[in-house]
Amino acid sequence: MRQIRTFGLAVAAAALATAPALADDIVVGFATAASGFMEAYDKPAQDAAMIRIQEINEAGGLLGRQIRVVTADTKSDRAEGARAGLTVVDAGADLVVVSCDYDFGSPAALVAESAGKVSIFLCAESIKAGIQGVGPHSFSASVLAAVQGATMAEWAYHKRGARTFYRLLDTWTEYNKGICDGFDWMLPRLEGATLIGSDTFVNDDVSIAAQITRIKALPQAPDAIMLCTMMPGAVSAIKQLRDAGITAPILNGSGVDGSYWLSAVPDLSNFFVPVQGSIYGDDPNPEVTAFNAKYREMTGSDPSTQYVYPGYVMIDVWARAVERAGTTEAAAVVAELEKMRDEPTLFGPRTFTSELHHQNRARYLIVETDQGQPRVIDEWTISEPIPVSALLR
Amino acid sequence: MPGLLQILLDALSLGSLYALGALGIALIFGVMRLVNFAHGDVIAFCIFALLWPSVDVVPIVFAGQLPWFLLIPFVLAVGAGLSVLAELAVFRRFRHANPATMMIASFALGFVIRYFLLMLFSSRPKSVQILPGLSQPVELLGARIPLLQVVTILVTIAVLLALVAVLRRTRFGLEMRAAAENFTMARMLGVRANRVIMGAFAMSGALAGAIALILGSQTGTADIMMGSSIMLMAFIATVIGGLGSLFGAVLAGFLLGGVSVAMQFALPLEARPFRDAFVYGAVILVLLWRPQGLLSGRAAKERV
Repeated sequence: MRQIRTFGLAVAAAALATAPALADDIVVGFATAASGFMEAYDKPAQDAAMIRIQEINEAGGLLGRQIRVVTADTKSDRAEGARAGLTVVDAGADLVVVSCDYDFGSPAALVAESAGKVSIFLCAESIKAGIQGVGPHSFSASVLAAVQGATMAEWAYHKRGARTFYRLLDTWTEYNKGICDGFDWMLPRLEGATLIGSDTFVNDDVSIAAQITRIKALPQAPDAIMLCTMMPGAVSAIKQLRDAGITAPILNGSGVDGSYWLSAVPDLSNFFVPVQGSIYGDDPNPEVTAFNAKYREMTGSDPSTQYVYPGYVMIDVWARAVERAGTTEAAAVVAELEKMRDEPTLFGPRTFTSELHHQNRARYLIVETDQGQPRVIDEWTISEPIPVSALLR
Repeated sequence: MPGLLQILLDALSLGSLYALGALGIALIFGVMRLVNFAHGDVIAFCIFALLWPSVDVVPIVFAGQLPWFLLIPFVLAVGAGLSVLAELAVFRRFRHANPATMMIASFALGFVIRYFLLMLFSSRPKSVQILPGLSQPVELLGARIPLLQVVTILVTIAVLLALVAVLRRTRFGLEMRAAAENFTMARMLGVRANRVIMGAFAMSGALAGAIALILGSQTGTADIMMGSSIMLMAFIATVIGGLGSLFGAVLAGFLLGGVSVAMQFALPLEARPFRDAFVYGAVILVLLWRPQGLLSGRAAKERV
């Protein structure tokens, strides 16, 4: 049913997209997945973006003009992505929003770049989602994966007294490698912290028994295990680690945030995730909880992971840049975005420079899952930003 | 160096999964020369049969709430039922087509099953708890090992013994072995072809159900793609084992599991991300040495 509805929406949107743009409106074009496997990741962030657009429109619009949305379905396909990018650019999009993932978002972003339009990735966490992979008009609304690994390492060192670390990397995606790269960058900066072992697996490995055996063979259990992986393999890895009787703290990237999967590992404890905002109703900022309620009202369900939030941040910072520039002209908007230093948003400060259109340092909330119950226990910002040279290794 | 017993159990439990998968493919290949690429999607379907169709993030567990003594037969029956349905609706019509056509048909069927699941459940992996009693470590000869590992190995051994008994001791088994040897001749001698083929599909489907239970219990995840990696390994195992040889398929399944675990231990960290490349390299070497497979079945020989 949902598929049919989504399809209907896509058809309607396509019809909209081909209609001539009303000269007075500012147009935001979503070249994102409304079908196929990326839909599950794009849709939540896009819904959050819609909330911010609605708020702006209700408050009188942007530069006194209403924001109008056009969409085109990438169908979770790279070739279709380029076509979808073209469709929204042709429909007069001033901002082109592209898929959550670098690989799936870049075809549309490249189309926007060559048309001289600003493009923003909904929640891509690779450094390539920006200047380095697309061009000077491209941004990402999320935080680099490396910051997540670095945050967890530094936090566990200072707040949990962790000195011995074990690193378990799922080599499936750049995102996973990014988390471990950040961890690797941070570890030598923590005096007395040592890496007592390291191993790899692949997301769809049927079993990680051999990797677990290696951990158990260590003369001493590690103070913390840095697990660089993502769904769906993450659940499998975590479950197998705990089922084998390994109780050491597990540090993760944001990709495993959410309580929707906890039924697979009941009574999970000693489990830590960095998040930009809390979906659990206990965010230190009450406005985040209010946003969650608004999201629920609009979509019928609570945010399922923190990856909803970058969509909101994206429209928020872009709209501020447009307001300051007084135009939607790409060069002027980019210049305003690049002036942002620790620009406060609902989900932590944002900084963009002419070198990096992504966050190499960010405030993270630390969520601990104890007895199967996740809750915010702390927040942490890494002591220094990760240099671009280290990110481009 | 980790305990040898633990490594052996790791290898045996992984090998068990591959062997069960390979057996499911070899059974069907034996009677109708079909490499059934839809097998992996049957595995995924068996897990999703425990959930109520919904695209929500949190799954609605439905049949999955059954107690274990009903849950296990239910999943095996779903696998067997779906496979028999596939034979009735699709493969029966290709009985006289050449093997390549049938293989393409099986690919297509696999896609149909996968997209059917995508439509009902969306692409987001679902978390489920299946047979939670197995999710705990047990003490065995001084090593703490996951109970599921032990159960997997024992179940596989039991399945293999049962299969040998069926093939050796029953009329159906005799017919099946005859059909695998020479299908046309068997038919002429009064073997009921449709019954044998349906039986093979049912057994293969039930094996897919068994894999689904083990995988589901091990990973806690239902994912529409979850059958594909095991399907690939199982297919390779049937080729190494010698297409058409049931025993060869099982042997090769265990070998693949063993080599994969051994590589994970033996390779230096830098080379470990390329573990699968080494495993497949070993596969190529085996095939160069014995192109017909370790224990070649009659079917393969005839075609060479």
